[in-house]
Amino acid sequence: MDDKVLITVGRQIGSGGLQVARLVATEFGVEVYDKNLLMLTAKESGLAPEIFSERDEKRSALGRFARFIGIRGSVYADTGAYSDTGNLSGDDLFALQSNVIKTIAEKGSGVFVGRAADYVLRDNPRLMSVFITADTEDRIAMVMEREHLSEAEAARFIADADRKRASYYNYYTFKTWGDGASYDICLNTSRFGLETTAELIARMYRQCRF
Amino acid sequence: MIPVELGTEKIGKLLKQYATPAIIAMLATSLYNMVDSIFIGQGVGPMAISGLAVTFPLMNIAVAFGTLVGVGASTLVSILLGQQDYKLANRVLGNVVILNVAIGIFVTILSLVFMDPILYFFGASENTITYAREYMVIIMGGNIISHLYHGLNSVLRSSGRPRLAMNATILAVVLNTILDPLFIFAFKMGIQGAAIATVLAQIVALVWVTRLLMDRSHVLHFSRDCFRFDWKIAWRSLSIGMSPFLMNIASCFVVILINNQLKRYGGDLAIGAYGITNRIGFFFFTISMGLNQGMQPIAGYNFGARNWERVKSVLRLTIMCSMIAMSLGFIVAVTIPGVAVSLFTHDPELKAIAARACSITLLMFPIVGFQAVVTNFFQCVGYVGRAIFLSLSRQLLFLIPFLALFPLFLGLDGVWWSLPASDAVSSIVAFFMMRRLMRNFGKNEKPVLENA
Repeated sequence: MDDKVLITVGRQIGSGGLQVARLVATEFGVEVYDKNLLMLTAKESGLAPEIFSERDEKRSALGRFARFIGIRGSVYADTGAYSDTGNLSGDDLFALQSNVIKTIAEKGSGVFVGRAADYVLRDNPRLMSVFITADTEDRIAMVMEREHLSEAEAARFIADADRKRASYYNYYTFKTWGDGASYDICLNTSRFGLETTAELIARMYRQCRF
Repeated sequence: MIPVELGTEKIGKLLKQYATPAIIAMLATSLYNMVDSIFIGQGVGPMAISGLAVTFPLMNIAVAFGTLVGVGASTLVSILLGQQDYKLANRVLGNVVILNVAIGIFVTILSLVFMDPILYFFGASENTITYAREYMVIIMGGNIISHLYHGLNSVLRSSGRPRLAMNATILAVVLNTILDPLFIFAFKMGIQGAAIATVLAQIVALVWVTRLLMDRSHVLHFSRDCFRFDWKIAWRSLSIGMSPFLMNIASCFVVILINNQLKRYGGDLAIGAYGITNRIGFFFFTISMGLNQGMQPIAGYNFGARNWERVKSVLRLTIMCSMIAMSLGFIVAVTIPGVAVSLFTHDPELKAIAARACSITLLMFPIVGFQAVVTNFFQCVGYVGRAIFLSLSRQLLFLIPFLALFPLFLGLDGVWWSLPASDAVSSIVAFFMMRRLMRNFGKNEKPVLENA
């Protein structure tokens, strides 16, 4: 199985990480797994896809508030008992999704975007993990165009999305999202452009010592 | 992990499979609390039972501090084990010990230093403080044991060994039941004997749980390097555990208010009577709680799978079972309150007050059976805000004004009546919230599970 290709791509919003991932996948002729992972997980578990997409990489403010004031333990506070709730929580969905990612990685190749896949696959010997960044101005420009936002709105959108991704990643991995030490490579698309970034990643993967 | 059988197997069978262990564990906890009350009431006397009742909120606060660590850590452990991150899971295990000991020492020192003012604030009087103090000094002395035992046991449960965790709980109950009469009657140690028995039972249970967690053949076990303190783990555990902690503290606060109203309008024996009815009522309520725990994964999964028929049918079945269980409590309270109460005391005066308290406070239990399931249902399908509101409404929002107003007109009876009144109002609210949800079932395809 030496020709197996497993790359995970973490990315700041507006950095072009998804496009880079697609280019890399085309280069190797393998599948890109991003949002479609949710559909796969849903199919695997028998759950409705939308409950995944709602939680996807978001740990919403409401959810955090709920977590803070009551979802975890028993609502019946007068018990003094330690409840072991079986709620269908974000934790369960993350576990389901992780299993899907692992299964795919065991069977074949793929480029995985987000979903803390680098952590999920950390023990896979064929894995190379990448984190894609871009300069703030470029990210703002990209988000403005894609989401049809003003500059100020885009800046807020980015800050918000970064915070959510970091919170999701840090919660499940005990690592720090975007921290260079967490990844094999960090690349800035503002320096290299999308195509070159993808080429670099592909070349590095071929020379990677596993 | 979510077994897919939740979406296919027969609802009745699933509920039985998931609820039975939960009910047993819950009943064991409830019995644990009950045993001390029974032996103290029978062996020491009516003032002792009042003294014991005064200590309930303090004991619950101590337990709440234990939960603060236990719930968060067991959540982390189950996430980490799901990712096969064994090293970090073991680190969490080690940090449970560190945190429990640190918080345990803090709580012990604080409560021992301020024991008398705390107990007076919780409703003690000159007649009951001696009993309360004698009992609590020993219980708080063993507080670290209790924290460690509860914390490690919940981690054990989440490491895929729920049966062993349950056995530990049962072991503690059985030991306490054997040791209580030994220390109270044979060694004539009074209320202190009950406290010693409780602590001893927990020491044995703790040793047993610790031994299980030393087993190196299991992925989760103690090792030397797992005992390094980790801020990240500590912070994460505590922030997850904060929720049940606050709920526990809120309910302790309410018991303190109730105790103080009882003391004002009925004296020490009324507090003892409340302690007794509370134990009786709680026994039946735990069955409902066990059912609720069993319902959670079934309702949660099928809600996630958008299988409305199955959601409705598990909800219907759970409500039915819960109402039956709670109705048993109601029947006991209305028909034979004297018999139930005489388990705890033979003092005619206390018996009379407790029997009256019992027959009033458990009046709304059948519909509380409904309210509890609905509250839990809202939680497990993700309407967390509503679940919290409903839970607080019964124990806090409606109760406090009733508790303040009713005694002005009815005296001691007013305190008793405030409880079923609050039950009734919050059940009505629950009914309407449920009806609204049912109407929108299946129509609203927008995802409603809040991230949690």
